[in-house]
Amino acid sequence: MSEDGYAVRLEGVTKRFGKHTAVSELDLEVPRGVIYGLLGPNGSGKTTSIRMIMGILHPDAGRVSLFGADADEARRKRVGYLPEERGVYRKMKCLDLVVFLAEIRGVPRAEGRRRALDWLERLGLPEWADKKVEDLSKGMQQKIQFIGTVIHEPDLLILDEPFSGLDPINQDVLEEIVLDFHSRGTTIVFSTHLMDQAERLCQRVCLISKGRKVLDADLRELKAAERKGLVAVEFEGPDRWLQGPEVESVEAVNGAVHLALREGADHQAILRRGVESGATIYRFDLVEPRLHEIFVRHVGAAASDEAGVPRSAPLGGGRR
Amino acid sequence: MSNVWAVIRREYLQRVRSKWFIFSTVGGPLFMIGLMVIPALTAGRAERAGRNIALVDRTEVLYERLIPRLEESGLTVTREAWSEDVVPSLTQKVTDEELGGFLLLDDETLSSGRATFYGSKTPSTLQRVTMRAAVSRTALEKILEDRGVDAESLMSGGELRVEMLSGEGAGFEDPQFLVAYLGSFFLYMMFLLYSVSVMRATLEEKTSRVVEVVISSMKPWHLMLGKILGVGAVGLTQMAVWFGSGAILAGAALPAMIAARPEVATLADMKELLPGAGLVGLFLIFFLFGYFIFAGLYAAVGAMCNTDEEAQQAQFPVMLLVIVPILLVMQTIQSPGTTLSVSLSLFPFFSPILMFARVSIGAAPAWQILLSFVLMGLTVVGVAWVAGRIYKVGILMAGKRPTLPELWRWVREA
Repeated sequence: MSEDGYAVRLEGVTKRFGKHTAVSELDLEVPRGVIYGLLGPNGSGKTTSIRMIMGILHPDAGRVSLFGADADEARRKRVGYLPEERGVYRKMKCLDLVVFLAEIRGVPRAEGRRRALDWLERLGLPEWADKKVEDLSKGMQQKIQFIGTVIHEPDLLILDEPFSGLDPINQDVLEEIVLDFHSRGTTIVFSTHLMDQAERLCQRVCLISKGRKVLDADLRELKAAERKGLVAVEFEGPDRWLQGPEVESVEAVNGAVHLALREGADHQAILRRGVESGATIYRFDLVEPRLHEIFVRHVGAAASDEAGVPRSAPLGGGRR
Repeated sequence: MSNVWAVIRREYLQRVRSKWFIFSTVGGPLFMIGLMVIPALTAGRAERAGRNIALVDRTEVLYERLIPRLEESGLTVTREAWSEDVVPSLTQKVTDEELGGFLLLDDETLSSGRATFYGSKTPSTLQRVTMRAAVSRTALEKILEDRGVDAESLMSGGELRVEMLSGEGAGFEDPQFLVAYLGSFFLYMMFLLYSVSVMRATLEEKTSRVVEVVISSMKPWHLMLGKILGVGAVGLTQMAVWFGSGAILAGAALPAMIAARPEVATLADMKELLPGAGLVGLFLIFFLFGYFIFAGLYAAVGAMCNTDEEAQQAQFPVMLLVIVPILLVMQTIQSPGTTLSVSLSLFPFFSPILMFARVSIGAAPAWQILLSFVLMGLTVVGVAWVAGRIYKVGILMAGKRPTLPELWRWVREA
């Protein structure tokens, strides 16, 4: 029962539905205390993976561990899970619902009640405590469900597409709460296809496509690694200097020129060549790639690999 | 287990607080009281005139004993001799409201206890029962006497023993018939009502996807158990209120009512109509066995479906198990001792209704009752095992309804 450094660990997990393989030999390690983004296009296996972590689906092969041991009922009670398809007991009063969800995770009723009232206050719903859930707007129902997800102060939060269906203000509220839990040491795993959100929140991301892991890295390192490859240039004058052994391709983007460099290329050499050629260089910028681009590039590549198309084929198409 | 408790609590409070529950629980007895009290209070002179009846006895041997018996129960009886035109002339009197009606006894009365009552309006249940009891009792006495049996001493042992001797079940004229029939029907309604509630709740949990959150914190079996126990507790609460108010009514209100209007019925007659505490206890036992069997099956049906329409279809085989015995009740009550009746009432899915019917007319020996308890107990365990497995797989399964072979695989592999 030793608890190693991982909050969640999947080893060689596979799930098939009939002939369709939804998740294929997935290895995943979520270190404790991080905010971990599970990214991937629709239908890539994010939700299936999460459901296997939560014991709702059983893997056909592989092993799921929580907090360093096989996932079991007791360990799952330490998890706060927000499913992709939201669902609540619509006929229940908000307060009763939240207290019930606390109770089934082992929080005594009186304590659950106290916490529930605090949360309703915090999310601006105190006057709704005794109203039926079905009388609330959809956004408010989502808030109630979110309270139900965190009411037992879990060590691990697993949120499947937590931001979908929320207006920008409530997205911010939710982000703030997620960061608050993070600062208290809670591990957070969330799936999304909204790259902006992931980029803002995550320390580590895992990119899956077609049930396979494409990328699993620390976000900062990932960006640093990807940054080497792209330079944005604005200039006047001759342009012959843009061509060279270091440059793989040249592309005009929004009035600038993007140079994609070959691996190990020295961007200083290009800059020197530009100055010598007499061009006036306004901007020579190592572009930090946005997660969005990384996502599109890798998913596109994965999709192309699968289709037997060479990697250098046009990027950005995604699959389908 | 604390999880099961939480589910029971939620299910119970949620339902007991609902408007429907309060309405039906409080409204049910009020409605019954209304049915009994209002006619009694509004019955005026016309009613009293209606208590004048004529008796035409073609057998010529029954009237001597029958008339005092009928008069005991508050009727005024005039005897009319049989002739071809007595029926038209009496009919005229009934139409003119001089008579409440007339009772015609013929040879059939002597052979089967059957008699015909002609009236301008339907007599009250109570009137009907007292008339039937009086007629059949008189006929029976006569028949037994003719065969050299001392009817008096036999009858003092109670009607129940007479029936056991003759191997016959309860006829329409017996209060036990009413108790048996209404009791079985009541069980049937409670089974359907509450088992279907379990199915609906399961289905709602599944379609609203709440179940994903709940199941990630507890075993499916615990959820199913909590749900069945919670809904069952609601049923017991409802019956406690009904039986409790019935007991109060019988204990306090009834004697007062009869004292106020002694011509309607005697207390003894009424008491005979009411089930005793022992039978109520047996009723509850049969309810619990039946409910656990059917609720388990219905929970499994709810778990394997995705929409109300699907559930409507899928519940059909299970519903048959509840409906078939209620169709057989009449026959079982009338001939409770036949091999067919005994075997059907021992079939554990039918026992809750059919064995109860036999018990309530006093036609089931103790060993049969105990055997049915054992068989039903085993069935509860079996159903829980199979349904629990179907539930476990089904509750998280989306997509089309499983076929029978698929269901079997669920049960084997779960």
